[in-house]
Amino acid sequence: MSTHTHDDHHRPVDADAPVGYYEVMETAVRELLIGKQLIGPEEIRRQIEVLDSRTPALGAQVVVKAWLDPKFRARLLTDGRAACEELGISFYDDTRLIVLENTDKVHNLIVCTLCSCYPRPVLGLPPDWYKLKPFRARAVIEPRAVLAEFGTHIPDDIEIRVSDSTAMVRYLVLPLRPEGTEAYTEAQLAALVTRDTMIGVVQATIPRTQRTSL
Amino acid sequence: MTDTSALLNRLANDIGGAQAGPIEQVEHQLEPWEKRCHALADVLDFHKIINTEEKRRGVESLGEVAIGKLTYYERWIAAFANILFQKAILTPTELARQMDLVAARSTSCDVRSDYPSVRSG
Repeated sequence: MSTHTHDDHHRPVDADAPVGYYEVMETAVRELLIGKQLIGPEEIRRQIEVLDSRTPALGAQVVVKAWLDPKFRARLLTDGRAACEELGISFYDDTRLIVLENTDKVHNLIVCTLCSCYPRPVLGLPPDWYKLKPFRARAVIEPRAVLAEFGTHIPDDIEIRVSDSTAMVRYLVLPLRPEGTEAYTEAQLAALVTRDTMIGVVQATIPRTQRTSL
Repeated sequence: MTDTSALLNRLANDIGGAQAGPIEQVEHQLEPWEKRCHALADVLDFHKIINTEEKRRGVESLGEVAIGKLTYYERWIAAFANILFQKAILTPTELARQMDLVAARSTSCDVRSDYPSVRSG
């Protein structure tokens, strides 16, 4: 293994800049495939709309439903994909979804060491750090140190389980519902369920500003 | 074990457990072409032209130097081109000519915001 870093050197977006080599390649590949009628001209645009419709708000909806409805929670843990589809969240790919439940004994973390597999139908696209070398390399060997870099400190008596995603199997963390949220509405609960809680790099917590008022 | 065994045992994508520096919590909004590239990947998967594992292996086949220097979606589109050549769906000459056409067009108008169809046959 080399020690080079996988920094994605993103160039600034400039509308007047000449179109780059890889962008030209993307356009050329797409046009050739459309010309050969292997893909339809509308399919790319339609899939962009699908991608834009997927955000962590969908995952939060799933988590809140699981917090409030034990029967749904059981179905979700048995077959993540089917339970999400129940809520109208379609899977546009062939992936299986395994939902990993955090408990007072276990904290889950997801990663894709080989590339960037991620539960996109329920969370949208992953953040860049999820796709870069430091997280992929270290999550499986020193998860406590990785979590500490996100400000998450898990006591030593709580097991940390790291699940490595594949092309066919994706994971979603079901975070622990914070104590003191018994009177919360669904919308208030959903606000606690961020993307990073469902990756497992942080825990769902009540923001400091709300702690004193409730 | 020789010094070169790691080159065989660990391909470029296989970095789980490797030494690495601190996690920089970087994110960026996708550029329009990057989002089109992602959508293209999904559509290629839907049509069973290139699936996720073929894409991953295609990126790995670019080799460690290219993987280190290209951005995420640059790696994807380069991998797609190579896989499409291997499957005899496109030829390198065909792609080079189309890229010349696209590049020539982009100097006079912006190709990023529309989807001009290409003549078939």
